[in-house]
Amino acid sequence: MEIRIFQILVPLFALVFIISQITRHLKSKATNVETIVSIGFWLSVGIFAIFPDAISNSIAAAFGIKSNINAVLFLSIGIIFFVQFKMYSLIKKQENAITVLTRKIALKEQEKQQQ
Amino acid sequence: MIPLHDIWVVLPAYNEETVICKVIETIQTCGFRRIIVIDDGSEDQTASKAESCGAMVVQHLVNRGAGASTQTGIELARMKGCQYLAFMDADGQHDPADLLKLWEKMEATQCDIVIGSRFLQTSGKIPVTRIIFNGIANTLTNVFCKGRYTDTQSGLRLLNRKAIEKLELEIDGFGYCSEMLIVAEQEQLKIEEAASTVRYSAYSISKGQDFQIGITTALNFIWNTIFK
Repeated sequence: MEIRIFQILVPLFALVFIISQITRHLKSKATNVETIVSIGFWLSVGIFAIFPDAISNSIAAAFGIKSNINAVLFLSIGIIFFVQFKMYSLIKKQENAITVLTRKIALKEQEKQQQ
Repeated sequence: MIPLHDIWVVLPAYNEETVICKVIETIQTCGFRRIIVIDDGSEDQTASKAESCGAMVVQHLVNRGAGASTQTGIELARMKGCQYLAFMDADGQHDPADLLKLWEKMEATQCDIVIGSRFLQTSGKIPVTRIIFNGIANTLTNVFCKGRYTDTQSGLRLLNRKAIEKLELEIDGFGYCSEMLIVAEQEQLKIEEAASTVRYSAYSISKGQDFQIGITTALNFIWNTIFK
């Protein structure tokens, strides 16, 4: 079997995140559910990177996907990225608004106390 | 002579009840009297303990991050007409005596902001992980800055009135350290660094950034810098 560079790098990257997540869990910085979901995700990424052809062929066979569907898949990925980008922007705006509000309340309360 | 009365020391604090009084007392011992604790929605007794030790306390109702607390400190300083504003970490890792060095540097160079750099002198042990994290953060920050800074993530900073008036920070989390340098350069403020010491303890290391928070901070910083 020919080993490609990503088949080494991606599992290593996944391993770093798994160790980091376990460390966070041991320090009580992550809940059980967060830890299980995170480890499950990175484990899947690592395994998929090691056996990409076998797994993708199995999925394609299971769902009946043929090669000409690639364009649709790429388009879907593009749309998902765009929606993700918009959602992240919206969350950032909301977070900024909460911070401004929190600060205004804090400074008003401080002024009141000084009077 | 250093105008101790004109320097307001701000401590952004989140769940620091075990150390906050000691930190405040150390600052008072150095002659600073105007100490403000920005309690960032702590779930413990940080605010009441700080108040009982003689600090002025401003309380965020919910936790918003170190950057949000720093900007609250800047806005309070603007309201109060402070001439100089110093920032220190509330976990006790900084030596308040270093603020004198920062002020001397500000006077000597007539700059607007002085950063206390842990890497300008070799005394004091800095954990390897911190050296690596800071190295990456310095490289990333210096890409977006005109100047080259040795400690972009230092929480020990001194601002003069001009900087207090001009700085507007938008990043809520730890990314504010880098953001402050970029905004200061955009506002034509002069920035210098002065050597400072750090006292790392198990407590201060546990309060700092870990691998995942570091990545989140970097991504937030890049996002805010590019899509501002």
